Amino acid sequence: MVVDGRPMAYQAGDTVAVAVLRAGEHPHHGGTICLAGDCGNCVAQVDGVGWVRTCQTPCRPGLVMQRHPASGAPPLPVAGQSDVTSSPPARHIPVLRREAEVVVIGAGESGTAAAEAARREGKSVTVLEARDGLEAVAIYAGRTVIVRAPDGMLHINAGEVIVATGAAEIQPVCPGNALRGLVTARAAQQLHAAGVDLGVAVAIGTAPESAPCAPLSGRLVRIESEDEARVSAVVTVEDEEGERTTACDTVILGLGRAARDVLSRMTDEPSVSVVGPAAESFPLPPAPTAGTVCPCSRVQVDDLSSVWERGFLELELIKRATLAGTGTCQGSACLPHLRAFIAARSTEIPEPFTARPASRQITLGEAAAGVHFDAFRRTVLHDEHLALGARMDRFGGWWRPWHYGDHVAEYWAVREGVSLGDVSTLGKLIVSGPDAVEFLERLYPVTVADIRVGRSRYALLLNEGGHLMDDGMIVREAESRFVLTFTSAGAGHAEMWVRDWIDSWGLRVHVLDRTMSLAAINVTGPLAGRLLERVGLTAQPRFLQHVHAEVAGVPCHVMRLSFTGEASFELHHPVDRSAELWRALMAHGRDLGIAPHGLQALQGLRLEKGHVIVGMDSDLDSTPRRLGMEWAVKMGKPDFVGRSALARTAEIADHRRLVGLTMPGPAPTEGSPIWSEGEVVGQVSSSFTSPVLGQAVMLGWLKRSPFPERVEVDGRSASVVQPPFYDPEGTRARA
Amino acid sequence: MRALETLPGLRVVATPEALDAASWAEEPLVLRFAPDDAFAMRTSQIALVDLADEHAIVEPETGFVGAWMTSDELAERVLPHVEWPLPAARPALAQGLIAGVPAKLWLEDDRALLLCVAAYAHELSERLG
Repeated sequence: MVVDGRPMAYQAGDTVAVAVLRAGEHPHHGGTICLAGDCGNCVAQVDGVGWVRTCQTPCRPGLVMQRHPASGAPPLPVAGQSDVTSSPPARHIPVLRREAEVVVIGAGESGTAAAEAARREGKSVTVLEARDGLEAVAIYAGRTVIVRAPDGMLHINAGEVIVATGAAEIQPVCPGNALRGLVTARAAQQLHAAGVDLGVAVAIGTAPESAPCAPLSGRLVRIESEDEARVSAVVTVEDEEGERTTACDTVILGLGRAARDVLSRMTDEPSVSVVGPAAESFPLPPAPTAGTVCPCSRVQVDDLSSVWERGFLELELIKRATLAGTGTCQGSACLPHLRAFIAARSTEIPEPFTARPASRQITLGEAAAGVHFDAFRRTVLHDEHLALGARMDRFGGWWRPWHYGDHVAEYWAVREGVSLGDVSTLGKLIVSGPDAVEFLERLYPVTVADIRVGRSRYALLLNEGGHLMDDGMIVREAESRFVLTFTSAGAGHAEMWVRDWIDSWGLRVHVLDRTMSLAAINVTGPLAGRLLERVGLTAQPRFLQHVHAEVAGVPCHVMRLSFTGEASFELHHPVDRSAELWRALMAHGRDLGIAPHGLQALQGLRLEKGHVIVGMDSDLDSTPRRLGMEWAVKMGKPDFVGRSALARTAEIADHRRLVGLTMPGPAPTEGSPIWSEGEVVGQVSSSFTSPVLGQAVMLGWLKRSPFPERVEVDGRSASVVQPPFYDPEGTRARA
Repeated sequence: MRALETLPGLRVVATPEALDAASWAEEPLVLRFAPDDAFAMRTSQIALVDLADEHAIVEPETGFVGAWMTSDELAERVLPHVEWPLPAARPALAQGLIAGVPAKLWLEDDRALLLCVAAYAHELSERLG
């Protein structure tokens, strides 16, 4: 194998750590070697993967080990990923899912006994043993055991879990404990059995049975080194005697054991039990006074003392304040010493801290195995967009066209001609029932009963706090039947919101979510009406009216409204007819200069009209007053969701306002700070260089009153104005 | 993985009692997504259902795609991506994430129908391979 770029021989049966120690080196840079996988003192980069426990990694021809830096972390491997709209390629790590009656973790004496006992009760038993390649790394609530297996990950849903993982050896905490040449008693035995020469070895505590060494009596004080790298002597002290220094090459440490119970500490479910040494309560080591207590996070005893003096008097707080126990071994090395440290300063021995997955180092790939990227929806016009050269991106849970190559040209198609927009992603809910009007009156802050059949009304959707959640249209189809529309990103939550309130109020209203069943195309622009006339829509609805009609032979629910500021007709139709309708409209509009527009153009078009995008221009606590949309709230109604909160806060001075801003030149970056008299007073939420107005237009939040009339954005002077910036009378939308 | 194809049908939302008692002029395969929500496959004619609920929502439905498969195909291609227990009874409708995609399974004795909304068809197909 190759170690730090040099060839290194190994013997059959060697782990990487043993081979490196055989060569007289250390797999890390120092620290006690346990060879049991319990600590982080032998981690290194193996075949490009960092933080691998080399004591658990068998040697093989061609294996490449690279020591971690002496301080800091190894560099992260970086894959070139210039296109953030595509999912990065990943090495596939398969997940096998299994059900098991009983899972026993550990095949030692206690694990074997537990497994046999369970079998005698007629239960089927799955035994997981790390030495056999089945290493349990986590137990999640519901008794899902996560296992690293040779060919992937194993996720086992178990009826019962028995943790029989034995006990780990206690590591020394004293000055010099980060040197090379320190091994635990069991590691010394393994190394001796493997033929590794330990040189002049001394043993402190319980000496190993087989490895040759000179036992030393007394308490470990410190470990010394002549070259600040490797052990040269150990200093001990006995009661009432002075320090004794013993020269050596290796210090063997038999300092006792601690329960290896990290897996059982991940859950407190009664059906997860611990047996054998993992369940034992071993004596704690002496309270540490100096040295490295947590080798993984390089926490010193001085660090513990420092936080203790500052009032961090509990184990969980000390863990958080120092990061002791949060490293790769998850406290296996330091936990007994942390508990001893606290016990010496208080009247109680603290219980071990909660453990969290994973108990052993796993790669991000292994952690993410079986986890999928968010599923993003495609409209049925996806391929049409691609054929037209669209650059697709993810918005509100959907793939949508950002532009088709020239968003300014798309903009002008809307302002001066006719354009198509794919708005299939809008939420669409049918509500029907004898209590439909009553329900909508209670839900929305606008009046609903006076919306005539065939008409529609814009409405905000508020929560109980009077904060904006979503917005859309209320479209009345019959006396007791409506279509509600919502934003693309808010549709899913809106549906739940609607259903919850219907249930809460006990009203007789049916709900059907048509978001996925109906596509929608927005035909917009001053020539939209002419185009639609060509494809059969001769009786066209007026502004805020809607009709059911065939368009190019496709049954459509045609809604007349406007987000772009121009005459707009939303054609809602069955998804399986959408491509047919899109192509017909494109074909019939060719001589009118028809062009589709993407979201980039749309965001500018709507911004010129001052229309907010919920979530982009609004915050979680945006009220209609702050948004300048009190016109959309009828406080005269007896009740609606959010009314009481709005009534309570109406008289309270408010210091936040969404305002319009204009300034010459190009638009600043969205999110730019807004300055006034040398102080930041807000930020830009939307910005666009308006082709028709020849200046930058913005929506932005001012968060300090009195609201100034002039501010600075991007180092330029900007005017605070009342939107809309374009066609304030709305004559074009109504045309 | 067989191609997911549009499953035309009728979507009916009505009171559970009305749906229980609904009479169909044809013999569609009716999947009850919820007590008040049914998807009747193999029919798209609104007139073919008779319901005792004047406020019922009855709409042609073309938003679902799906593919029939044998039990062996189900076990081999789909079930490894299902993290939740399937119902033991047959026939049965099961709903949840399959390979991280919202989907449904109609399980019969010797075959199954995998279905999802058309907007997720590409994701489900790609993930099931």
